[in-house]
Parts: sequence; C-alpha cells; structure tokens
Amino acid sequence: MRSARILLAAVTSVAVVSLSACGIGGSGDSGSQSTANDGPVTGDVTGTISFETWNLKAKYSDYFTGLIKQFEQQHPGAKVNWLDQPADGYADKLSADASADSLPDVINLSPDFAYPLYKKKLLLDLDKAAPDAAKDYLPNAWQGNVMPGQKDNYAFPWYLNTGPYFYNKKLFTDGGLDPNKPPTTYDELAQQGLTLAKNTNGAFAMLGQTPQIEDLGLYGVDLMDPAGTKFTFNSAKGVKLVELYKSMYDAKALLPEALSATYTGSGKKFLAQQVAISSGSAYDLQTFRTDAPSLYANVGITAPMTNTGHANMYVQGLSVAAHSKNKATAIAFGRFVTNAQNQMAFAKIVTVFPSTAGTLNDPFFTQDDGTDIGRVRVASAKQLANGINYTPVQLSDQMKTVLRNELANAMLGKSTPQQALDNAVNQCNQLLGH
Amino acid sequence: MNIRAQRPGRIVLRYLLLLAVLAISIGPFLWQLSTSLKGVGEDIYSYPPQFVPSEPTARNYARVADVVPVWGFALNSLLVAVANVAANCVGAALAGYALARMRFFGRKFVVLAFVLALLVPGESIMISLFLMMRSMQLSNTLLAVVLPGAVSALNVLLMRNAFAGLSYAVEEASLIDGANAWQRFTRIALPSVKGTIAVVAIFSFMFSWDDFLWPLIVLHDPDKYTLTIGLNYLQGTFASDQRLIAAGTIIAVAPLILMFLALQKYFFRGVGAGAVKG
Repeated sequence: MRSARILLAAVTSVAVVSLSACGIGGSGDSGSQSTANDGPVTGDVTGTISFETWNLKAKYSDYFTGLIKQFEQQHPGAKVNWLDQPADGYADKLSADASADSLPDVINLSPDFAYPLYKKKLLLDLDKAAPDAAKDYLPNAWQGNVMPGQKDNYAFPWYLNTGPYFYNKKLFTDGGLDPNKPPTTYDELAQQGLTLAKNTNGAFAMLGQTPQIEDLGLYGVDLMDPAGTKFTFNSAKGVKLVELYKSMYDAKALLPEALSATYTGSGKKFLAQQVAISSGSAYDLQTFRTDAPSLYANVGITAPMTNTGHANMYVQGLSVAAHSKNKATAIAFGRFVTNAQNQMAFAKIVTVFPSTAGTLNDPFFTQDDGTDIGRVRVASAKQLANGINYTPVQLSDQMKTVLRNELANAMLGKSTPQQALDNAVNQCNQLLGH
Repeated sequence: MNIRAQRPGRIVLRYLLLLAVLAISIGPFLWQLSTSLKGVGEDIYSYPPQFVPSEPTARNYARVADVVPVWGFALNSLLVAVANVAANCVGAALAGYALARMRFFGRKFVVLAFVLALLVPGESIMISLFLMMRSMQLSNTLLAVVLPGAVSALNVLLMRNAFAGLSYAVEEASLIDGANAWQRFTRIALPSVKGTIAVVAIFSFMFSWDDFLWPLIVLHDPDKYTLTIGLNYLQGTFASDQRLIAAGTIIAVAPLILMFLALQKYFFRGVGAGAVKG
C-alpha cells in the first residue's frame, strides 16, 4: 500500500513538473507578480485567511477552534478558515494546490514538504517578511527551517519531536541480554543483536528496520556536502554502518520484513513483540498501554543511540504562501499559533515539544512527576536542547524509497554495502537534478 | 463407481488448498472485524493473532461517529456513488449500443480510442483534470468528484461487447416490423443485457466508493468529504487507535458487501455474458 502511494506521489509530481513547463499551471504565470520577498510585510491584520493543518482535526478540534476564536477576538475584522487534511495524500494535495496556485495562506509543513514549494517560489521568506520573529524561537528550530544554500527561513517553527528508544525487557532476558544494559551505540546494538540472535535461533529479532537517513546522520556520516547540492552518505563511515546491519541481517537479528518496512511497520512489529528494540516518541507509551498491555508491563526506556552527541529532532513549521492576499494577517496568525503560550498549551495535550525560546525551561519539561510519561518527557526535552534535524529537506519520499531498496539489495547480498550506497547516492543526486 | 470415492487424497488436498486461499483472502478482514470489537486494554497486535475478543464491545463504532461526522461523509459518498452508477449505466449502455450496432464513419477508431483510454493511468492526468475543474468553477463540488468517472471507458467496452454478443437476427426482425433505433435499443437489446448492467453498476459503485485521491484533491471543504477521506482522519498524527480504524473500515466496507449480495445473481451471469468475449 505504502509503496504504491509513494509511486503515486512520484507520478503526480512528475505531472506537476511537466505541466508547469507547458505553462498550463497557474504558478507559471503568477511568477511575474511581486512575491514580496523584498522586505518586511506591513499592513492591517484583517480580512479572511485559510489555515491548513495536517491531520489534527479529529483529536484536537477544540484546541484549534479555541485558538482561532481568540485570534479573531484580538483582531476584529480578521477571519480564519481552518482546513485540515487527512493523513494520506498530503504531498499530492499540496502539489495539486501548488500547480493551481491555490495554496492556503498559512500551511502546516515539515521542512521536506516545504522544500518543493520553496523551490517554486511559493513560500514567503520570513527572515525578510518578519525580521523580528527569529528571536522568539530556539535557534536550532529556526535553523531547521532554513532551506539549503540559503540564509533565510521559510516557516515559523512549530512543534518539535524527538524520542527515546523503547526496548522489551522480557525479550532481552529471553535472548540472553542484560535487561538493564540496553545498547548505547550502533556498534553495541549490532553486538547485542548478534548475541540475541544466537540465543533465540530466530524466534524473534533485535530490530525491525534497515537504517534510515537519520541513522546514518546519527552514526556521524556527512549526509550532504556543505552547500547542500549533493548527497555524500556513501562515505567509509556510511559503509561501516550498513555492514553492521548486514551482519545483523545475516544472523537473523534483523527481521526479514525489515527490508521493506517503513517506520510505522517497524513500530507494529515492536507492539507484536517480534522485535526487541525500537525508536519511538513520548506519546507511544499511551499506545503501548491500550494496544499492547503485555508489552507495556515489560517496556524499558533508554536514550537514543548517537555517535555525534546530538539526538535527532523532527520539526514542524507554519509557512505563509507567497501569493497570499492577506500576508499581514497570515504572518500575525502564524506567529500567534507558534507563540510560547499557545505552543505550551498544545504540548500539554499532545506530548510534543514547543520550539519557542525558553519554553523548554518550564518545570513541565524539567521536573519529572514520577510517571513513565513524565520521565520520557523530561529526557526528550533535554535531548532537544542540542537536537539536530538530520533528515535533509531535499530528501523526497521517492529518494527514501531508493535508499530503502538499495539497502535491501545490500542486506540480501545482491550488492556490497559500498555499491548499494553508491547507487543510492547516484540516484538521489539525479533526482535532485544533477 | 464413483470416481471421487477412489481418490479421497485428492479431495482432501483440494479442500486444503481452498481453505488456504479462503484464509488468505478473508483473514485480514476478520482481523479488522475482531479488532473493531476489542475493548481497551486488549492486546491487538499479539502473535499469533487472537480473533475472539475477550471483552467484546460495540463502543468503537459509536466512537467513530464521535471523532468524525461519519454520517455526513457517508451521505456524500452515497450521493457520489449513486450519481456515478446512474451516469455509468445510462452513458455506457447508450455508447456501447452505438458502438456495437450503429454504422457510422470512424466507428473502429472510436472503439480504439476507448481501448487506449483504458491505458492512461488516472493519476497522470489528475493535475490537469484539477486545473480543468478549477477553470470551470467546479472545484470543491461533488459534481467535480463525479464527472471524471461518469462514463468510464471500461464500462463502455463492457456494454459494447454485451450488445455485440446478442443475436442480430432478432433486431433485424423488429427492424422489418418498423422499429426504429431507439425502440430496438430499449425494447430488444437492453432487456437482454441486464447482467452486464449489474456488473457496470457494481464496478462503478465500488470505484466511486473507494476512490481516495481524486476527491481529496478536488475537495477543500471537510463538509463535502466522502467517506474514504473522512475515515482517513482516524489515522491519528501521533498515536492512532487501531480499534477506531478497524471500526471505520467495517463501516466503509459494509455497503459494498450489501450491494454485492443484492446483485450477485445478476453479477455472475453478467461476468459470464459480457466480460470474457473479446
């Protein structure tokens, strides 16, 4: 299912490119219009804007309607139309709206979704449009939304996420490992995985996923050249990590399904207690409790493995459409949703983390209340202080599929780790347009 | 002597194979059904899967309606599906009869055009369709959801083959009796292809009921969403509740099963009559 969708996305984005080349698309024509990347946006906060979020309506409807009401009260004459897109097909919807030049005024984007829109000059440069905004946010969160090779930022940082590794203490014991000494580095992970596989004879596995681009980054591999023009993860270090995984795969410490597994797929294998360790987020604990109570009784929590001293961090942002008719209102609303008070309120209901400067010093994030969730929250907040978004924004879904397929070839022995990474780098660079 | 009695081993093997295929095809559906009935606090990903819930509950179905306005979505889906079925049955029958029986210049090319249309994947023309709907001021309407699939090429070809397969002698006889083309179509040909029309109805209902990407792209207003899009909201961004997703899936599939049960008599006749002849 998932791969079919990725293929679809690829097909649609090809269609977008070819269309705008013929000049049928609206975006081609409006390029001549001034996109206000020239200076600060001033004007009255009034008029109607549309605000698009990604799959938040079902659960957090009250929070957002309250937010919008408050904003409309503070700015008489302003009206916010809230649109919420469902989980699947968001990239397709964005690319259709982009080609018709009908993007909403304020859009919830992660940096990798923002990148194709930025490349078509459809997003507002916020360093220029709202020069006083940067100081309100954590520097690494603001930086996380800066497009490669640019100095300027294209989204107000919104919520952040990071997480621990969860491991199954019972499976650790059954596999002959010390349940109080989970792996702290990738080399230990492989070592322990091999021990576990030898003791269990393939009854269950250590890990359910081949390395992701974030894993390569956390292992200390330079993913791109400094200018962000080409991928470089086929270095000796990258090969070393793939070799570690290959040794785990051969010993059956890596689940055979891992070759095609996505992040969600691997999480389900952890819930089914078929793998012993999995990365996760603070809010996963609740899922364990309701969906896999027998796992919840044995779950252990440990810091994520990293060779760089930095944890990985995921960033969500709010971008403003370059062709918005009410830019001043859109900017005011984007800053309102992402201000410290509103982010704090959101973090309290979802267990994600605010990106505003100083908010993570709140006792809510520094003192644990003795519960598991409290402990994970405090540990995660600490990780965020120097967290890095390792996923390069240029890495599209299509490129992720390329990487996954090439790594599958390496695991199966159809190519060496070096060949697999070389192939992946070449194909990704080609997709980048080299 | 009975041949079957001689080879019990073969029969056992045959039934084992059939059972294996049955398990593969309905296993996942049963898993969804059982998950949708499980209470909070039951293991749902246990391996091997446990099909009988230990604390069965219907609450998940009620909760689906709390989380998303599922009845509004279902009504939209129903409107779209009924319009789609009507347009396909009428349009494909008319076009199919014309292609099978009328003699006009370029008929073969028209048939070829319909065959070629089958080969174009819908996704590749989706953006241009969207731009077209926008320029016709139709985006964000249910009409725009129906239009692209209103008379599908596959259905036209199915109907054409069904009409072409009828004996022409009967129609010739009515022609001599003075029946015009319309009378021959409605009185003679149409009643003979009921089975294929049922196939067209089921196919177009299923197609429009299951379609996700096109309605997602052309609709903006959540009030107008169809069921497939609406139920997608159940997949939470952070933590998703598999029980809700399963209950939503069952709600979405139920009308298809009902529709199939109601029409299955015609369906199998129709598949045999129209579809297999080239």
